[in-house]
Amino acid sequence: MGKIRLEEVSFAYQQQNSMVPVIRDVNISIEDGEFVSIIGPSGCGKSTMLSLLAGLAFPCDGKILLDNKRVKGTGNERGVVFQHYSLFPWMTVRKNIIFGLRQLNDLKSKKEHEKIADTYLELVGLKDVGDNYPNQLSGGMQQRVAIARAFAMNSDILLMDEPFSAVDAKNRMGLQELLLSLWNNGKKKKTVVFVTHDVDEAIILSDRIIVMSAHTKGVKESIPVSFKRPRNRSALMRTEEYAEMRNRLVNLLFDDMLEEVDIAV
Amino acid sequence: MNVYGQVKTLKCFDYSFIRTLAGKTFNGANIFFILSMILALMPGKRIAGMEYELYLIGLLMFIEAVYLLNLILRKDEIKKRSAGDITVIVFIFVMFCELMTTKLNLMEHLLFPVPGKVVAVFINELPEFGRCLLSSLQLLGAGYTLALVTAIPLALVIGWRKRLFAAVNPMTKVLGPIPPIVYIPYAIVILPTFKCSSIFIIFVGAFWPIFINTVNGTFNIEKQIIDSAKVLNVNERTMLFEIILPGIMPSVISGATLGLVFSFILLTAAEMIGASSGLGWYVKYFSDFADYPKVVAGIIFIGIVVTAITYFFELFEKRLLNWRN
Repeated sequence: MGKIRLEEVSFAYQQQNSMVPVIRDVNISIEDGEFVSIIGPSGCGKSTMLSLLAGLAFPCDGKILLDNKRVKGTGNERGVVFQHYSLFPWMTVRKNIIFGLRQLNDLKSKKEHEKIADTYLELVGLKDVGDNYPNQLSGGMQQRVAIARAFAMNSDILLMDEPFSAVDAKNRMGLQELLLSLWNNGKKKKTVVFVTHDVDEAIILSDRIIVMSAHTKGVKESIPVSFKRPRNRSALMRTEEYAEMRNRLVNLLFDDMLEEVDIAV
Repeated sequence: MNVYGQVKTLKCFDYSFIRTLAGKTFNGANIFFILSMILALMPGKRIAGMEYELYLIGLLMFIEAVYLLNLILRKDEIKKRSAGDITVIVFIFVMFCELMTTKLNLMEHLLFPVPGKVVAVFINELPEFGRCLLSSLQLLGAGYTLALVTAIPLALVIGWRKRLFAAVNPMTKVLGPIPPIVYIPYAIVILPTFKCSSIFIIFVGAFWPIFINTVNGTFNIEKQIIDSAKVLNVNERTMLFEIILPGIMPSVISGATLGLVFSFILLTAAEMIGASSGLGWYVKYFSDFADYPKVVAGIIFIGIVVTAITYFFELFEKRLLNWRN
């Protein structure tokens, strides 16, 4: 199941002789099957939050709970897609996916793994590149493979750290549509935590947007996105509600930046 | 195109074709081939060694044949030109040796054998060389393989676990730089057979470069790769051998290459000191007898063997890293 809760979570790292705070007393609750975007300016700790949720780092204070159980490290119930280097360059595309499947220790045979890999490669539109190496593919294609692997491993929770930021605008839209279609068409909707700095991306994809603050190092606001799914991008972007939401979010980010600068001065 | 134009083109075509053919035939390497043949056939001052001119001519024709083969097989113009340049240098070198020894008799004739004689001895001694090669390869193979299979896994584990690394690294800095040659006399006494002590020396020599490079590679691997693996929940064995080892393969290979080079050096040194067979033994044995044609032929043979082994090693390395482009 995919319920996530962060209770009074704080994280700081050591630099020379002092501790630099990254996030402070963060409280977030995410329901099973919810698609939540986390947006915020640079330095607001969104990538750190994702590392904590993935189990790659541990909070200095507070608890992270998955289905009311404390997170103790990485786990198969969470799949992660990073911005770069999600794939291992010395393995072919297919082997990358099969490698992930093998770590599940689910006693499936090699042939079954190959079949699953090929199924998901086809789902992401990469049927013919199974034998290519990652560096033979474009950035967008590599991210599609990473998504294919995450979905093939069938985790309850999907954590994504700016996965489409390094991709050009046209491919980014394709990847967003792909993600939404995979998310909608699965047997059970995964819980998705999606970190991004692109406001439009957050509105199109999410059920809820959490705005982080670099200034307070915590959650600034949590805004539900109530546009009906499936969301028609071009139609939606022309509505007044969309513009309103977009302005609201941009203002939140801008205010935060002003506050941060004020304090520095 | 008018009649006048056609005729003009035909004339040009013929002319340039002949010019290209002439240019190709009379290029540097071929000119030097002819020059060196002329030199070989001229009479010389040194009497001892005149009978070997036939062997020298054979050598010159061999070099020319290799060059022509290169010309035919290589498609790249630049590579063809370098083949030509290298051949010119080889011819100049052979001519120089020939001049210094047979023709002008400027070198001490016992110490500097005539090129023709070296060729003759080389061909004669090939069976013996084969036997020595087998003996040397056994030792090299055993020592180097032992070094690979111990150094790599150890280095992966030690590089991966911070506490182990902190404890072992200083020791590596002290033990690593000791030239393994200094162990040779002691190893010969302690270990039961000469073969054992040779293999031990080669093992020590190859172990340290492989170990140090692999440890450093492990320690410095990109964090992102490790994180990507961690979120897939790999166990430690998978992390070390399926993620880190392929990920740091360039480091491992540079360590392995260094190890191979050291192995050659130590093998030859060990054989010179205490062996009764092998290529290093051959060179020392006949040097003791002042049979310098055999010494020079032996050195040349060793050069060929090392070049061949290094070449195949590089081919293997390219295959291991073929995902990189």
